[in-house]
Amino acid sequence: MKKKLIKFYPLIPVFTVYILLFFIGKNVPGMWQLVAMLLFYCALGQAFNIFLGMTGYVDFGYVAFMGVGTYGMALAITRLASIEELGIGIIVAGFALALLMSTLLSLAVGAVALRLRGAYFAIATIGVNEGLRFLIEGARIWNGSEGLIFVSDINNILGRDTADALMTFWADVMVLVIAALAAVVTLYYMRSKIGYALTALREDEDAAKVMGINVTKYKIIAFITSSCFAGLIGAASWALKTPYVFPPEVFEIQYTIEAIIIVLLGGAGTLLGPVAGGLIYGISKYYLAVYVPGFQLLIFAPIIIVIITLFPEGILGMLKNRFQNTGLAHFII
Amino acid sequence: MPLLKLENVTKRFGGLIAVNRVNLEIKAGQFIGIVGPNGSGKTTLFNIVNGVFFPEEGKVIFEDQNITILPPYKRAPLGIARTFQIPRPFCGATVRENIAVGAMFGTHGRYVNVDESLEIADNTIKRVGLRKHRDKPAGILTPVEKKLMEIARALAMKPKLLLMDEAMAGMHPNDIDRMVDFIKKIATEEKIAIVAMVEHIMRALLGMAEKIIVLHHGAKLVDAPTKEALEDPKVVEVYLGKNTKK
Repeated sequence: MKKKLIKFYPLIPVFTVYILLFFIGKNVPGMWQLVAMLLFYCALGQAFNIFLGMTGYVDFGYVAFMGVGTYGMALAITRLASIEELGIGIIVAGFALALLMSTLLSLAVGAVALRLRGAYFAIATIGVNEGLRFLIEGARIWNGSEGLIFVSDINNILGRDTADALMTFWADVMVLVIAALAAVVTLYYMRSKIGYALTALREDEDAAKVMGINVTKYKIIAFITSSCFAGLIGAASWALKTPYVFPPEVFEIQYTIEAIIIVLLGGAGTLLGPVAGGLIYGISKYYLAVYVPGFQLLIFAPIIIVIITLFPEGILGMLKNRFQNTGLAHFII
Repeated sequence: MPLLKLENVTKRFGGLIAVNRVNLEIKAGQFIGIVGPNGSGKTTLFNIVNGVFFPEEGKVIFEDQNITILPPYKRAPLGIARTFQIPRPFCGATVRENIAVGAMFGTHGRYVNVDESLEIADNTIKRVGLRKHRDKPAGILTPVEKKLMEIARALAMKPKLLLMDEAMAGMHPNDIDRMVDFIKKIATEEKIAIVAMVEHIMRALLGMAEKIIVLHHGAKLVDAPTKEALEDPKVVEVYLGKNTKK
């Protein structure tokens, strides 16, 4: 029984961080904005880690899945706004559509791009978000470059007070729930054959194949899982917090880069890493923008370089080595 | 019924014929040595058997099943395992995890869960004598330990056929003895057919082999019981050149 429980220990620090963040945000005046940002970055890291961390493949088009998820929520709200009895169910429908759209996109992208390896995969995926953005703008899909604006729709359906609470508070709580879910899924993968297969193919894809691992299958599993979480994050953090979608904003490559930095900073392929990375990244970004506005990138870049140089395996890689063979090792993975 | 049968297998790389119309039969539990100088097509032959390459011509038959164009990941569960000339451990994973991967996706892969696989790994680790390295990342092992670990990983797959690519190349004589003893032991205990490939004729290994196949320029030169093969003038010629004194 105890052995069974030990398997779940690594979730304790992750959930502790999330719960602490929630209470700090809720009880310290003026902190919610920072907390929301940190939750967003932790969720982003946690979701991206399932693919980047576990397979070692770099997806430069990751933000496209967030963008598509945002559109999923936006479309559900704008198209179903006339059905008033739907109430809060419209949000559920939005998440379902976001999930469906990001799954379909990840299947399409994965089926083609995952046949490529290493740098070739990375290059192929760069095209995805740019291509998608120009397709939406050029072909005037979903209102093209004018985007979708649905503030009034949300207000109509949910009533002004509920809609306000949703945008300023509940959307962030949803991000928290998504981040926690991503952590649970990550741990589940790590402890199952999926995780072992992914580790094997990350370390040596050809050797993995010869050992009986259907590498394409496992890569696609990781890719779809990771992309679905991206879609949910987009739907919660972007569509519900700011009830409008414009293609250039939701297909902005900066978010992909941020996700990569967070995962590598914290420790790729670890459970706690993306949380540590998200916190460090979010806190530095926030306070540097407050205290040295205009110069934040100038200071931020060297900080990242120093951390990566000092801890090439990320913060968690360092902690794991330090606490190896101690009781803490069960908590840190 | 032979375990593995190659019929007229040919593999070309552009204009180069790496393997040329090779026929081969291996019975269950047999120990076979494949010998051939550098570039004679040994590794290519292995790659054809485990599915890394598909041959242009000919057939690969394993237990009466035509597996000529079966992808490698489907061959491992049938019972084909291999080790590499230069060991290819999953460096970031621990020795235990490496070997557990073998159990998880080998012939018993469908029937064992993660915990059972780790148990199998623990048993296999004991057998190859890597117990003190169990929880270390495989990347930090010495070359000999890496080879042992690869063999353990292959054994955990519970294969019917084990292809060993230069299992002893570059090893210290003491280690070679240890390795030979170990291979002998698994060959008799597990009843696995072993195909060991070596570049040079090594008495130690050949003493164990029932049959020797000598490859030269991709073609089979000699296929005979060990003793006869070693005395075959064609084999001597490949390694030492023609005897011009008559």
